[in-house]
Amino acid sequence: MTNPVIKGASYCLIHAPDMVLTNGTTITMERAKHPESQFLKDVQEQLRSYEDALAYPPNQCYIGNITPEELGSIPQPWYEHPLEPNRTGTFGEIFPLDEFIALMKISDSFNLVFLETTFANQTAEKLTNHPLFSKEELAIVRQGHTNEQITKLLNSEMAVPLKYNGEVVGCIKQAHESDANLSANVIFENLVAKASASLGLKRLIWQTKIDPAEIDYIIETSEEACGDMNQRGGGNFAKAIGEVCGCVSATGSDTRSFCAGPAHGIINAAALVKSGIYKNVVVVGGGASAKLGMNSRDHVKKNVPVLEDMLGTFAILISENDNRSPIIRTDAVGRHTIGTGSSPQAVTTSLVTDPLKEAGLSIKDIDKYSVEMQNPEITVPAGAGDVPLANFKMIAALGVKQGVLERSELNDFVVKHGMKGWAPTQGHIPSGVPYIGFARKAILKGEMKRAMIIGKGSLFLARMTNLFDGISFIIEPNPGTNDDRTSPRERRRTWNIGITLQGSEHGMEEVLRGAELAQKISTDIRVLCIGPKNNSDLETIEAATEEEQRTTMERLLETGQLDACVTMHYNFPLGVTTIGRVCAPGTGSEMLIASTTGMAAANRIDAMIKNAILGISTAKALGISKPTVGILNVDGARAAERALLDLQVSGYEIHWAESIREGGGLIMRGNDILRGACQVLVTDSLTGNILVKMLSSLTTGGNYETLGYGYGPGVGEDYDKIVCIISRASGAPVIANAIEYAASMAKANLHGIVQSELTRAARSGLVLSSSQTEDLSPPPKPVDEEISGIDVLEIEEAAQLLWKSGIYAETGMGCTGPVVLVANEDALEARKLLLDKGFIL
Amino acid sequence: MDLENQTRILELVEKYGKDNVVVVLGGAEAEASGLAAETVTTGDPTFAGPLTGVQLELPVYHIFELKDIIPDDVWDEQISMMEMVLDVDHIIKEVTTYRERTNGG
Repeated sequence: MTNPVIKGASYCLIHAPDMVLTNGTTITMERAKHPESQFLKDVQEQLRSYEDALAYPPNQCYIGNITPEELGSIPQPWYEHPLEPNRTGTFGEIFPLDEFIALMKISDSFNLVFLETTFANQTAEKLTNHPLFSKEELAIVRQGHTNEQITKLLNSEMAVPLKYNGEVVGCIKQAHESDANLSANVIFENLVAKASASLGLKRLIWQTKIDPAEIDYIIETSEEACGDMNQRGGGNFAKAIGEVCGCVSATGSDTRSFCAGPAHGIINAAALVKSGIYKNVVVVGGGASAKLGMNSRDHVKKNVPVLEDMLGTFAILISENDNRSPIIRTDAVGRHTIGTGSSPQAVTTSLVTDPLKEAGLSIKDIDKYSVEMQNPEITVPAGAGDVPLANFKMIAALGVKQGVLERSELNDFVVKHGMKGWAPTQGHIPSGVPYIGFARKAILKGEMKRAMIIGKGSLFLARMTNLFDGISFIIEPNPGTNDDRTSPRERRRTWNIGITLQGSEHGMEEVLRGAELAQKISTDIRVLCIGPKNNSDLETIEAATEEEQRTTMERLLETGQLDACVTMHYNFPLGVTTIGRVCAPGTGSEMLIASTTGMAAANRIDAMIKNAILGISTAKALGISKPTVGILNVDGARAAERALLDLQVSGYEIHWAESIREGGGLIMRGNDILRGACQVLVTDSLTGNILVKMLSSLTTGGNYETLGYGYGPGVGEDYDKIVCIISRASGAPVIANAIEYAASMAKANLHGIVQSELTRAARSGLVLSSSQTEDLSPPPKPVDEEISGIDVLEIEEAAQLLWKSGIYAETGMGCTGPVVLVANEDALEARKLLLDKGFIL
Repeated sequence: MDLENQTRILELVEKYGKDNVVVVLGGAEAEASGLAAETVTTGDPTFAGPLTGVQLELPVYHIFELKDIIPDDVWDEQISMMEMVLDVDHIIKEVTTYRERTNGG
């Protein structure tokens, strides 16, 4: 089985001094009891500025600019020894509060966050060039409200304020008038958790360059609870966070065990990857506004700045073995069981020495132990002592008791295997996980052999049990051997691929021959025929007519009984186009033609730009990580080239092909097609259609297509089915190849890849004029009547004309050209209207 | 000392009488142990809990002070490791200060 590896880790902080005052429980409780107390006045005086928070050494350590060892060499108090105030670091960044409030707005799915217009615009402006935010997200931030509207919500609708620099800049509304679990305060707290975790995950995606669509599962491990009065804490933060970050292929759930939650989450993630159920699992935890200023009473009393003004967040990616990244050992996991007992030595034995014994190691074999890594400068003044230090001493003392260490070695062991704490006291945030980023880096560099991560939780806080909790695991270098790269899921999975039988110019027997060929070649697919009864050994789902074949295919795709289907003549919705796959006759190289049927956009240039992105997506689904792209020298090629170059400059990755003709360039001539000079050829769909037909029947004289993979799968932003097109002239070899092509698209999760490519392009500024059509659509109804003969450039206008007259119409692309689809009963009137206006002759 | 614990101590004293209650502390830190000792002798110094202004003057000891009366095997299993870890002398000094202050006054 595959070893689960730590593929990446991100750590971010948010400086939230205003939230210390509005949401930290120490202060809100004091305000409720003693609104005039001196402490409430003093605490405001001792809040830090953003610059001071940036310069604070433990914060620079959290984002990876200095190591824990370097932090340990800086004299204390650290707040008197500021570092360079860097906002960004190796592992993450420190957000100011105004920008975080904008992220809360972006994370708000229920219109509960209201921002004042000037603040909204200014903050959106500040974030314009931030790599983690798209234009669309910033447009959400800009949806501001007037001061009057916000004051009204605060005064009469139980909203709570969002403050920045002491000023009200917005508010959060309650989500229900009488449900305490949906009160404005609870929503506030949960949105802080969601938005901060989203920041962590966005940063992780950006750092690791993982395609968000490749994340299969998200485990959220904070200490908050979301739900309503009937299921307080029912969840699910994980999917809510994944949604903000574009993880379209992921599901997820929330794991709780107080501070030990993240360590549990990572072990669960490792198990899911090891078992082969998922390939990429993210463990994420957001910040807790309630814990802000938790010990501020002691800090104020002892003249220490209010250091608990930081919200913390982390995200860690656990993936299948890449033969490089450090592994999580799943054979030696430490766990505090219900029967373990609660004495410190019983706990330490269960978490440290028991798993080490299982792994055949001694406590000295672990280079660094990561325990509760709370910053002692926060906990010591509050009487809680130096938490990491106490933990390291416990491990050493246990070593002495077990005879592994001499008593005189105790202090040396603590210095060598321990560290100073640097994490903010955000409960689950300091609990073992802050060191994973450093451990990963040190192991990769060969500077470290092993680290142990320990998470502990105080379960008594919920008053359900007096039991303690704890869990631990070991991180080691990747041995570099991968005994079995294929997960059991991949091995066992059979992919169900349909083929419709009727409609071929060569007869049904030819289609069956292609289907049987495909079944013979591939062992991991099951070919299902849709059509009339026949003598083939393949399973057939009966359908009498071509129309019945189509509805059967759609139903089977919808229910998941088919993973993909191959068919002739299918009307995709507008916005969906097919990516053909051919062999260049000159070299035998494969080439994708983007596109070959359907229409990516109503406007020709827009369609070609989108074809390029959809072609790249399909190439990636075929496993070509950096496909080379060329644009066919057709009308609009230069305009498409300019737009795509702009997109590239703004950050969208395109690898250009080079023409074989003298002078080169990315514009492809006919000669280049014959040589297969690019991997993705961008063209308009009608030209693409001609090319596939010619290249497929090159050796047969025209009427019988024997080469290539057909016209390819329909792709577009909202289209999540895999339907691959062949023509009525396609012969058995092409049909067999098309079935294999469809299967490989299903295996690769084509839709997820398309979504993430389009999202990336949108982030780099892709805007298509066709997406701005006015929505006049009458209520939808089934459309089964095709009206053809309309010019492709006028197709949208034709549909709009029908909508204006109250006729529901859809646009599509038939094999012969664009069509408008209407209901049977509307067909006559629609034809008349289109005839009157000159759309058809 | 947290408010729940203060309430429980007060209830025990009301039920069994001052002379029948001994408080044994297990705090890991000297200052916090001292505060707890103060709370059950001269009253809650943070003025937050039900023992505010209540002088129970209960006999109070840290577990580290009771080693002699605990069976060796129990001590070894439950306490011996932490004995190596914590600042035993400082903890005992703090707790003793409050206990003796009460006895003296």
